[in-house]
Amino acid sequence: MKRRLFLASTVSTLAGCGPISAALAQNDGVQRILASVDGLNDELIGTRGLAESYSERDVDRNFRVNGFATPSDARYTALLADNFAAYRLVVDGAVERPRAFSLDELNAMPQRNQITRHDCVEGWSAIGKWGGVPLGAILDAVQPRSDARYAVFRCMDNDGSGNLYYESLDLHQARHPQALLAIRLNDAPLRPDHGAPVRLKVPTQLGYKSAKWIARIELVGSFANIAAGRGGYWEDQGYEWYAGI
Amino acid sequence: MENAGRPAIYRYAILTRVSHWVWLVAFLVLVGSGLQIFNASPNLDASDKSDPARRVLAIGSPADGVGTTTFFGRTFVTTGWLGWTGDGLGSRGAHAFGASITVPGYQDLAGGRRWHFFFAWVGAVCWLAWLLSSAIKGNLREMILRRSDLPKLWPMQAYYLKLRKTPPPHGIYNPLQKAAYTSVLFVIAPFVVLTGLALSPGIDAIANPLTILLGGRQFARLWHFVGMLLLLAFFVVHTFQVLTQGVVNQMRSMITGWFQPE
Repeated sequence: MKRRLFLASTVSTLAGCGPISAALAQNDGVQRILASVDGLNDELIGTRGLAESYSERDVDRNFRVNGFATPSDARYTALLADNFAAYRLVVDGAVERPRAFSLDELNAMPQRNQITRHDCVEGWSAIGKWGGVPLGAILDAVQPRSDARYAVFRCMDNDGSGNLYYESLDLHQARHPQALLAIRLNDAPLRPDHGAPVRLKVPTQLGYKSAKWIARIELVGSFANIAAGRGGYWEDQGYEWYAGI
Repeated sequence: MENAGRPAIYRYAILTRVSHWVWLVAFLVLVGSGLQIFNASPNLDASDKSDPARRVLAIGSPADGVGTTTFFGRTFVTTGWLGWTGDGLGSRGAHAFGASITVPGYQDLAGGRRWHFFFAWVGAVCWLAWLLSSAIKGNLREMILRRSDLPKLWPMQAYYLKLRKTPPPHGIYNPLQKAAYTSVLFVIAPFVVLTGLALSPGIDAIANPLTILLGGRQFARLWHFVGMLLLLAFFVVHTFQVLTQGVVNQMRSMITGWFQPE
């Protein structure tokens, strides 16, 4: 009798959580309260340390592809067919000197290589050797104005419903020494499915921050007016803007 | 069952009682949302990065309508329980844990993360407040397991197993209770917090030795899951004890503070 009561109450306690939380999950006020700890986590944890650096033998030679598949739209396939000769990385917005970098110009800048772990929000991780230009060097070249607070990364892929992928970092995160505009993975030019020709790599945050297929970096004072206003494609779907946890 | 001959004792301070129920809610939400997060990548590897060669647990669906669980390389068909389960929307699909035990009650990684991180704070702040208050008031002393309690552990177990007529003499908490509460509150709960923190790339960058100590990021995910199972085991045994050791008296004492000794 007691045993049955015990089992029944345990099962019903556990089973009750699903439907109750489903109802609460639809409530905007509840979700705002839950999301209120994001800012606290950002303040406490932030991106102040350096992600662990690994050695060559730790590298995943067949690095797992994260995020969307290679863009199939005409703009991207034309660039790819021409081996990105016509590609320009536009950096503009709240900057003193807007620039458009060709792939050759990016290759001619001082390069940084880092072997870091990519932590996906789904829970898997992989180690890759990333090579490219530190994001800080790009910022130095364009000189952000005093009203610039965020770097917004505009990408060439869309989710099939026409929503373009984008991401954002604040300037502190963008100047993190490991924030890299990667043009190489494992000593080879980025493959199209890994974000060729240029992707972001920020190992102190989850993988969705490391946007692929970047066409433009726009410096802004606020991202409230971009797409759904939360600072990134996945952020607009409910993921945290601060992706350090 | 009630024995009016002996005076009731005021067993639980208000902060202990509030903490107890807050922890119950936080624990259930954290387990459910944790399973939701697990579902997004239903493997556990004893390694730093993901590595199928060091896979300890894999829950999957090799074909529609089939769920399997692979534990240390041995695969079991677990259709309906693990791998192929209810999606919370009226049908079944390839979900490691079923929607009836995840938070939210359908596939939603972003939602699961929000619930998880919020209630992680709730549980941790509640723990700190309870610890400070209990330490200041001195009632921690009554529940922490001491060396002098060790010889009484088996006699107490023997009493529970009805191999012994009377429990060994003890204070407010018997030695087995002390062992359980001490390990849950001061070993397992902090372990679960630390292994959870080690999963975060931001924490890793600040406290890398913690992640290395745990065997790496994916290993931390495995430890976090093991810690959850240990807490779940405590929860099941604890609930069983409450329901079989005078449930009315037990529930009343954790609500009003007053416990009636037998």
